[in-house]
Amino acid sequence: MRRVLFNLLFSTGFVFIFSFLIYSFSDTLVHAFLPGSSIFPKDQTISLSKCQDWTQEVRDFQLEPGEEANRITVLMYHKIIDDQQIQDIHYNDDQVLQETIVLKSEFENQMAVLKKHDYVTLTKAEFQLFLENKLDIPKNSVLITFDDGFKNNYHEAYPILKKHNFTALNFVITSHVTPEESKYDPIGQQYFSIADMKKSCDVFDFESHSYNFHKRDEDGEAYLIAKNKESIKQDIAVSLINLNSEVPLFSYPYGEYDNETIEAIRDLNIKAAFTVLYDDVRPGVDLYEIPRKTVFPDDTIEDFKEKINLK
Amino acid sequence: MEWIALALFSTFILFQMLYIFIPLYTIKGNKDVKKLKVEKGFSILIPAFNEEKTILNCLQGIVNLNYKNFEAIFINDGSSDQTLELLTDYLDLRPLSRTSSTFTQFERINGFYQSEKHPNIFVLDKANGGKADALNAGIAYSLRKLVITLDADSILEPNALTVMNQAFEDKKVIAAGGMVQISQGFTGSHVKPKPVFNVPGLIRYQIIQYLTDFYLHKTTQAKLKSITVIAGAFGAFQKQALIEVNGYRKTVGEDLDITLRMHKLIKAKYKKHKLIFVPNACCYTECPENYRGLFSQRFRWQKGFIDCLIHFRKSYFKNLGIPVSIYILIDSLILGTLNAYPTMIIPIILLITKNYEMALFFLAITFLLALSRSMVAMVVAGRFGHHYSNWDKLKVSLFIPFEILTYRLLGLVFVTVGTILFFKNKNSWNRVDRVGMNKQNYGEGIRIPRKEVG
Repeated sequence: MRRVLFNLLFSTGFVFIFSFLIYSFSDTLVHAFLPGSSIFPKDQTISLSKCQDWTQEVRDFQLEPGEEANRITVLMYHKIIDDQQIQDIHYNDDQVLQETIVLKSEFENQMAVLKKHDYVTLTKAEFQLFLENKLDIPKNSVLITFDDGFKNNYHEAYPILKKHNFTALNFVITSHVTPEESKYDPIGQQYFSIADMKKSCDVFDFESHSYNFHKRDEDGEAYLIAKNKESIKQDIAVSLINLNSEVPLFSYPYGEYDNETIEAIRDLNIKAAFTVLYDDVRPGVDLYEIPRKTVFPDDTIEDFKEKINLK
Repeated sequence: MEWIALALFSTFILFQMLYIFIPLYTIKGNKDVKKLKVEKGFSILIPAFNEEKTILNCLQGIVNLNYKNFEAIFINDGSSDQTLELLTDYLDLRPLSRTSSTFTQFERINGFYQSEKHPNIFVLDKANGGKADALNAGIAYSLRKLVITLDADSILEPNALTVMNQAFEDKKVIAAGGMVQISQGFTGSHVKPKPVFNVPGLIRYQIIQYLTDFYLHKTTQAKLKSITVIAGAFGAFQKQALIEVNGYRKTVGEDLDITLRMHKLIKAKYKKHKLIFVPNACCYTECPENYRGLFSQRFRWQKGFIDCLIHFRKSYFKNLGIPVSIYILIDSLILGTLNAYPTMIIPIILLITKNYEMALFFLAITFLLALSRSMVAMVVAGRFGHHYSNWDKLKVSLFIPFEILTYRLLGLVFVTVGTILFFKNKNSWNRVDRVGMNKQNYGEGIRIPRKEVG
C-alpha cells in the first residue's frame, strides 16, 4: 500500500515538474525548433537607432530654377531572387514567375539605369518635405521601397543598392523578424533576422508593414479592413515598439485600407502611409494614400524607364 | 545542430525514463530467502592475481555460505605476491589430481590442491595468463553444472548461493548477474550488514552509482531482455553455455564479452533462454578509495567496453538480437561514450549556437532526471532491505544533488580518457590498488586470523 502510494506520488510529482519545465521553456523550444511558427516578441525593440539616423538627413540639392521635380516615382519591390536559384516553387500555376518576384539580374539592370541617369534616392525626410512642398528635389529623384521584409532583400538587393550608394525603405512585418540567425535559403519564405537588419541598416530604412496583420480572414478580407480599429491600432503599435522609429511610416498590407485604417494609423502618430495605387507622387498628395509603382517580373527595361518617367 | 541536440536529448530522456519507471513499478521488494530442498551444485571460480590484501576476506565469505553443495576454486594466476602462500597457510592444502576438460587452451598448470580444513575449497595454481585465462582454467577444472564467477576482492553474502539456487530453478536461465554492493558502505557483521553513509564523498558517489546501476539499470535491462553486462564481480552461468562459447576471451572487458556471447548463444541456439538479474543474491566488493584507483578502474572498464564494441561489430542486431544491440549502441555508445555525458555535451552544442535558454532547459531536465533516478534507486534499494538510518537518509538526500553537479561529471573523464587509452595502448592490464580495508567482521567465533604480510 505504501509502495503504491509512493509510486503514484512520485510519478505525479515527476510529471508535474517535467511538464512545468517544458511549459516554462515552451517559447524557447518553439523558437528553436519551429522557426516558421514562432513570432517575434511583442515587447522587444530591435535597436537600430543610430544606424537609422541617416533617414532624417536632408540634403541641399542646389538646383537651378526649372531643375526641380514636380512629380516623382515610388518604386515597389517584394522579393529579389538570384536567377540561378529560381526553382519551380517560384512559379505560379500558369508557369510564370510569381508577381512578387523580380530576378536579381533584372534588379541589377534597373539599378544600373537609375545610376546611369544620375537618379537620386530620397531619404524619408527629403521625401516628406517634398510632399509638403518645402524642399526642391532633382527631377531624377526616386524612392525605392520593399514590402514584407524578406531575407532575400538583404542577400540580393542590399549589395546592389550599396554598390550604387542607393537607399530604400523596407516595410517589414515585424512579427516575422527572427531573433536567431538561419542560413539563407532562396526557396524558403524567410524574413529578416535581427542580424540582417543590423548589417543592412545603412541602406534600408526599416518601417512598419504591421506586426502580425499581413493576413486575410476566412472570407478573404484583409485584416486591416476586417478587424476593428482598436485591434488594428494594437497590432501596428507593437510593430512601432519593435522598430522604435522616431518618424514612423507605414505601408498597407495588400495595399488594402479604409477610413478606419487611416484613422488608426493617424492616432498612432504615423507620418505617412503607402498604398499600391499605380501613379506618380506629387506634392500635396494625401500623406496616407501615397501611390507606388510595382515593378513586375516581366517588366522590360523600357517598361521600367517608363515607370521612372525617363523618356 | 539544434535538431541533433534535440534528437540525442529525447533519446536520453527516453532511456532515463525507462530506468526510472520500470524498476519503480515492477520491483515489489522481496527480501525473503526461500530455501529449496534440493541444492544444485555450484563451482565458484575466483581468479586471483596479486590479491594478498583481499583474498582472505573473500575466503571468509565462502566459508560462511549457508550452502553445502558447492566447490570453490581459487585460481592463482601466477601472483608475484603472497596470495598463494596465504591460501596454503590458511587452507592447509594437499595436492590432488583432477582431470580437466579440454574445451579450450590456457596457461600451464602448476598444481591443483584441496583444502584439508574445508574439503570443498580448492586452489588451482597456474602461470599468469590474465583473468580470462584463469577463468577458463577454472572452468576446465570445475565439476559442477553451475559456475559462479567471483572477484577475489568480493565477499559473498551468506545467502548468495541459496538465492542463486532458486533463480536457476527456471531452466530457461542461462546466466544470472548478482547484486554487487560496495563493502565500504556497510558496517557490522556479514550476517546482518547495516548500510552506512558516513564515508568519504568518492565512496558515497560509487555507492549511489552501484545502487543505480544494479537496482535500476540491471532490472530494466533484464525486463527488456537487454542485460549488457553480468558484472565480473559476481555472476552465475550454466557451465555448458560457457563451454559452448569456448569460454572467456582475453580482453580487459571479459565480463561484457562473455555476456554478449551469451546473447549470441541465445539468439543462435537457445531462443527461449534468458539472462536475468538476481537482486537478492549479494556480494560485497571493495571499491577504490582514491582517485588514482578509481580512474584506473574506470579507464579499464571503458577500454573493455570499446574493445567489445569493436569485437562484436559484425554481430549487432542479427547475431546479438535487437534489444541488447540497441542498449549497447544507443545507451552505452551514443549516450554513454560518443556523447561522453549528455548533460555536458548537449549544452556545449547549444552554447556554440548561442542558445543559452535552451542549454538551461536541457540542464534543468537532466538535473530532474538525475535526481529522480537517484531517488528511485534509493527507494528501490529500500524495498530490498537496504535501509539507511534517518540521519544517513538526510545525508543521502543532501549529497545526491551535490553529487550530480560534481562527482558525476567524472564520468566524462572516464569515458573520454578510457577511450583514448584504448586506442593508444590496447593490452595493458591496469590494476586497482587494494587497501584491504573492511569494516565488516564475522564476530569472534569465526574470525580468521590475518597473517601479517611482509
